[in-house]
Amino acid sequence: MAQVRELLARVAKQDDAAFAQLYDVFADRVFRYALTLLHDRHLAEEVAQETMIAVWNGAHRFAGRSKASTWIFGIARNQAFTLMRREQKAEKMPKPDLIQADPSNLILQQEKVRDALDDLSADHREVVYLTFYEGLSYGEISGLLGIPEGTVKSRMFHAKRRLAEAMT
Amino acid sequence: MSTCREVGELIPWYVNGTLSTEEAQLVASHLVSCEACRDELAQIMRINLEVKRMFGEVESIAETAKAEVIERAKGKRLAKIDLGSFLLGFSFGANYHKGKLPVRGDLRLLGRRIPLISSKKEAGND
Repeated sequence: MAQVRELLARVAKQDDAAFAQLYDVFADRVFRYALTLLHDRHLAEEVAQETMIAVWNGAHRFAGRSKASTWIFGIARNQAFTLMRREQKAEKMPKPDLIQADPSNLILQQEKVRDALDDLSADHREVVYLTFYEGLSYGEISGLLGIPEGTVKSRMFHAKRRLAEAMT
Repeated sequence: MSTCREVGELIPWYVNGTLSTEEAQLVASHLVSCEACRDELAQIMRINLEVKRMFGEVESIAETAKAEVIERAKGKRLAKIDLGSFLLGFSFGANYHKGKLPVRGDLRLLGRRIPLISSKKEAGND
């Protein structure tokens, strides 16, 4: 997206207004992505903040070889794993507050899908999130996660099987 | 001739519209003649909708996070004084940034921030 690249170029020159705009475009998306990995709102917020600071400090290093959004998600992922190591509880965390449930309009099947999504491993949920929520191609996900394209497809295969089971 | 397995692997990205033209054509032509893969497509379209809806329901990042990030981006905080309350108060901050000392003073009135002092730093190149 040319607009985001333009904003990043301005951020590289320490343009405050551009940074505020970039924050508006990405902070919440980074927060949601971090939430899929960490399952903890507080930590996800920390990841979003640290990521945006890292973008401010490192925008001049964006070489333009990937989409700007993929570059920013890559920073977010590193931040999330740094925090995960620090907390050492990513997989041990209690039942997530990933989704704020509204009991008034839940139907049984939605609940089952929600549970299935929450129960996916972080690796599988990440691929589902990046594909369906962020709309990334399998090639972009492969680059972002540093794994072969075949592994992206295989994670998706297992994740969608679990989600499909919940929908039947 | 593509197999159901090959096509099935691509369907999630057929649904999110990121396949190359060639891959999308391959999937589309297979779907015409394969009922099982059409069922798979329908299922993944439902998953796509559910996932978007569920992640969309997540409460957004706190509004206060932005001010913190912007402040931190502007440099290392040297001092910050806050007097009064959220409804009526005064805050003064001084940061260090690339050899400069931007300072800022704001009046808070009924939750609105009204700038009183601001020494805006000049944009520079890295």
